[in-house]
Amino acid sequence: MIRLGLRLAVTGGRAAIARLALVGGAVALGVALLLAVFAGINAVQSQNLRYAWLNSAVTEAATGTEAADAAGWALREDYFAGRRMARVDVAVTGPDSPVPPGMTRLPAPGEYYVSPALASLLASTPADQLGDRFPGRQVGVIGDAGLASPDSLIAVVGRTPQEVAGIIGATKITRIVSVSPQDCSGCYVGVGSDGITLILSVVAAALLFPLLMFIGTATRLAAARREQRFAAMRLVGATPRQITLIATVESTLAAAAGTLLGFALFPLLRLGLDRITFTGERFFLGDLSLTWFNVLLVGAGVPLGAAVAARAALRRVRITPLGVARRVTPRPPRAWRLLPVAAGLCELAWFIDRRPRTTNGQTEAYLGGIFLTMIGLVVAGPYLTMAGSRVLARLARRPATLIAGRRLADDPRAGFRAVSGLMLALFVTSVATGVITSIVAYRGETPVGTATYDNLSIGWYPDHGGKLPAADTPIPAGLTTTPGVRDVLVVRYQGIVGNLPTGAIGCADLTRHPDLGQCPPGAQVGAVYADLSRPDFGSDVYEASPMTLAQLPSLPVNSFVVLTDGSRAALEHSRTLLESTFPDGRFPSTENEWRSDFARTLVQFQRLADVVIVASLVIAGCSLAVSLAGGINERKRPFALLRLTGVRLAELRRVITLESAVPLLAVSAVAIAAGFTAAALFLRSQLDYDLKPPGLSYYVLVGLGLAVSLGLIASTMPLLRRVTGPQQARND
Amino acid sequence: MSAALEARGVALSFGETPALRGADLIVETGEIVAVMGPSGSGKSTLLHCLAGILVPDAGEIHALGRRIDNLNEAERSELRRDRFGFVFQFGQLVPELTAEENVALPLLLGGVRREPALRRAREWFGRLGIDGLERRRSGELSGGQAQRVALARGLVGEPAVLFADEPTGALDSFTGEQVMDLLVDSARRQGATVVLVTHEARVAAYADREIMVRDGRVTSPAVAS
Amino acid sequence: MSVPLTLLGLLERQPSHGYDLKRDYDLWFGHGRALPFGQVYSTLARLARDGKVVMDEVTPGEGPERKRYVITDRGATEVDTWLTEPVAPEPHQQTVLFAKVVLALMLDRPAEEYLDTQRRAHLARMRELTEAKRTGGLVEGLLADHGLFHLEADLRWIDTTSARLDALRAQVKP
Repeated sequence: MIRLGLRLAVTGGRAAIARLALVGGAVALGVALLLAVFAGINAVQSQNLRYAWLNSAVTEAATGTEAADAAGWALREDYFAGRRMARVDVAVTGPDSPVPPGMTRLPAPGEYYVSPALASLLASTPADQLGDRFPGRQVGVIGDAGLASPDSLIAVVGRTPQEVAGIIGATKITRIVSVSPQDCSGCYVGVGSDGITLILSVVAAALLFPLLMFIGTATRLAAARREQRFAAMRLVGATPRQITLIATVESTLAAAAGTLLGFALFPLLRLGLDRITFTGERFFLGDLSLTWFNVLLVGAGVPLGAAVAARAALRRVRITPLGVARRVTPRPPRAWRLLPVAAGLCELAWFIDRRPRTTNGQTEAYLGGIFLTMIGLVVAGPYLTMAGSRVLARLARRPATLIAGRRLADDPRAGFRAVSGLMLALFVTSVATGVITSIVAYRGETPVGTATYDNLSIGWYPDHGGKLPAADTPIPAGLTTTPGVRDVLVVRYQGIVGNLPTGAIGCADLTRHPDLGQCPPGAQVGAVYADLSRPDFGSDVYEASPMTLAQLPSLPVNSFVVLTDGSRAALEHSRTLLESTFPDGRFPSTENEWRSDFARTLVQFQRLADVVIVASLVIAGCSLAVSLAGGINERKRPFALLRLTGVRLAELRRVITLESAVPLLAVSAVAIAAGFTAAALFLRSQLDYDLKPPGLSYYVLVGLGLAVSLGLIASTMPLLRRVTGPQQARND
Repeated sequence: MSAALEARGVALSFGETPALRGADLIVETGEIVAVMGPSGSGKSTLLHCLAGILVPDAGEIHALGRRIDNLNEAERSELRRDRFGFVFQFGQLVPELTAEENVALPLLLGGVRREPALRRAREWFGRLGIDGLERRRSGELSGGQAQRVALARGLVGEPAVLFADEPTGALDSFTGEQVMDLLVDSARRQGATVVLVTHEARVAAYADREIMVRDGRVTSPAVAS
Repeated sequence: MSVPLTLLGLLERQPSHGYDLKRDYDLWFGHGRALPFGQVYSTLARLARDGKVVMDEVTPGEGPERKRYVITDRGATEVDTWLTEPVAPEPHQQTVLFAKVVLALMLDRPAEEYLDTQRRAHLARMRELTEAKRTGGLVEGLLADHGLFHLEADLRWIDTTSARLDALRAQVKP
């Protein structure tokens, strides 16, 4: 029986071969995608584990071997050229010190180890911009085992125990932490792998959904002929089980071939994947790998799933020995189909002002609502198609309009199926674009020309363990004369005064730099934050400080703020100078550097969204083309007879165009509206933002998507001419 | 003689449209019965009910000594496969299979291994005068040849009852008679009961007797006189 | 069936004795109704009288069959004309049956049953002919076919009439 099924699958004529190939191809894409997602999740987790040793200060989490001689340990965050760098100052106290992965020993005072990426930066950068930050000499390179990413910037600097003990946040450790940051509550170095896993899953779902629709479309190719063949077999006594078995063999064959191809495609996808930096840092290619469990799950699960799906599909279209001749017109879709969309949008609306507290709660709430809306659109599609066809039939003046309208009204599900993929793609595009455009508009990347974001500030915060420099601490020599440095301002520490910021600065200093916030009129001293930052929104004017101008010089230094021209040389030279002058505190940073993490994540998401949008549009286009071609093939006889009776080809073209374009436009409008509504509700609930109109690229993308779809419809016209030739009208 | 088939008060509707409204019929073993009637009279539906393809809404159907209208789909399929043969008007051959595979199909479905099934199938090509066509696909056969292949398939399982629904409907009268000759000869040789639905009197004349179906009822003698 | 023309046609093959003519006629056209010798000779006599055949020679001393008949040009022309001209397309209306149906309707008798009975009779005859065809040779088969096609035509008339009985009843019983 299985042999018979195989025989039927491969000899089923061109349509059956096309069906096999399309289903196989779609399965291959889906499998490659699934594998990529699994690999991505594995990579995120591997990468996270690679961060573990940087958390060694959290001594209670350490599980490694106990070393006899405790080592001094101080981890600080540094930057170079906008990139984050981890710097660990260590102090060896004896021969048996704990050793982090990637190193054979801890560096002695006057020595340091760096990551390969940092080593090459050191080689190519003037020492006064980078190398001078590290006392001593480089004695080695940290091996891959100690790196989160090939691009990681890490320095492990050997110091004396006294030096390390003076550094902010310094501890003594005897063991290296080797548990993943996600399993360790105090370990703050690492990536939020749960969140990223979730986002990857969403991306995968957004791509798999249209793929599943495509597989559904392809499976229905030449379905009439297949049903006829099954009916013939049922007549001579094939039991429903046997038919199911034969059909299952066919789809399992396609799925198995597709799965194999998917495994072959995966390595290619993997090469591209290591360039996408969801976590902010590139993955090691080796981390993007699959576990045996993943391989088994996909390799066995997908064909198995296909077999189950084939069974389910046949259960719906039960094939009787008399074939489909007696099929009654399906009941028209009813208005309840609009409910799930409405429910999805209502769910999102409900969470306005009721934002869940936890990240997981939020993701569940918002993604749940968006997915419900998405599924709701698929459910509502046939109803919308029918509504469109009724309008069409009412407006019918030409026979073509009438035929198209009647056909759509008779089986709106079939009409909708062709454009369902496109509808989903448009929905995803609209949600993603709406959300990302708005977030970028509110707090995205640095607004161009805001010079204050390039101000480098080094500050001391007594309430976070910092020791304020004395009032007479001078501005480091050579800082003001560094090329590109416009000015160096000193912010004094005025202590906690009411709700005011703890910094104080003379108003005259601010007046010299109109791009900074200013004092209120008449004030002598302004109350400011140590880095002179202002709130994102609101007044540009600081409040007045109770201090007098005369008191200022006697107050301890809260921060030095270096106003630069934003050039790398100026920034890094100033930073290096400040770090060597104040080696024990927090390192200086700019507003841009603080913000860059989020901005970079946003860019990543935007890129990811673009991938999803383009891919789902392409898949949707394929779906449309396949179902159009299939639809024409299925109906070539009636069309050929119509042509014989004198209906012009142009009229038939109009029928085809109308019956695909009408649902296309009807559901597109609804999908876009639903997409933006969902985006607006999400923004309002999660971030309290208003929806911003999308940028030009959105209109271009949607316009392009619709144009390509209409082009696909047009491209089936030669097929129509060919298959409706008079030879098709003969009886056979 | 004992009854091979019996229908008692069989009624069946398609949606709102009644096709059979209480049809009664007895077919004796070995009999060749022609079921006649105008288009839409329900004669094909009666055949479908007798053959266990359709399940009547009301009434009973007995075939080969057992009641079949209350069997489930799989049981009826097996009954069709093992005890019944079918020759329909057209569209009954599976286009992807060769002629001999089509003939062997009921045997294959019944679990006969491929080689013996094909061997038995090939014997019929000689008997029905279509030798040489074993490897052709149905698209490469003329109407008469296809119908002989279908007849071979209907008979290969040595069925107790052969159901023929307009078996010559798509053929010219000369070719149709050849097929009918073969059908009647083969059925007689095997001792098979034949139910033959036709609207052509000349085809019905091959039967031992005819019954008339009109408006979903059997009007002329339901039992052999 | 025109006996004189059939005999003339048989004669056109070759000059024949009366006995040969009768035997051939019975073989091909008689079918259960042999042509009496008397009719053969009287017909041949009439044909001779009309100049369509002549007696060729008399061979003495060879039994009663001494006369051989030969077709004349006139006779041959007549055969040719007969073969070429189509038979008048007489509608083979079942006049008796038609009269029965109409009368039955007028008298409120079961016209449908009469038609059914007739159909059964026709089908029974068709079965006989089919059986004859299946067991007999080509000639019997072709003859049976001729009958079958005619009977089939009658049956179609019967079917059509039974489908229109109600309309007919309305017309004959206003």
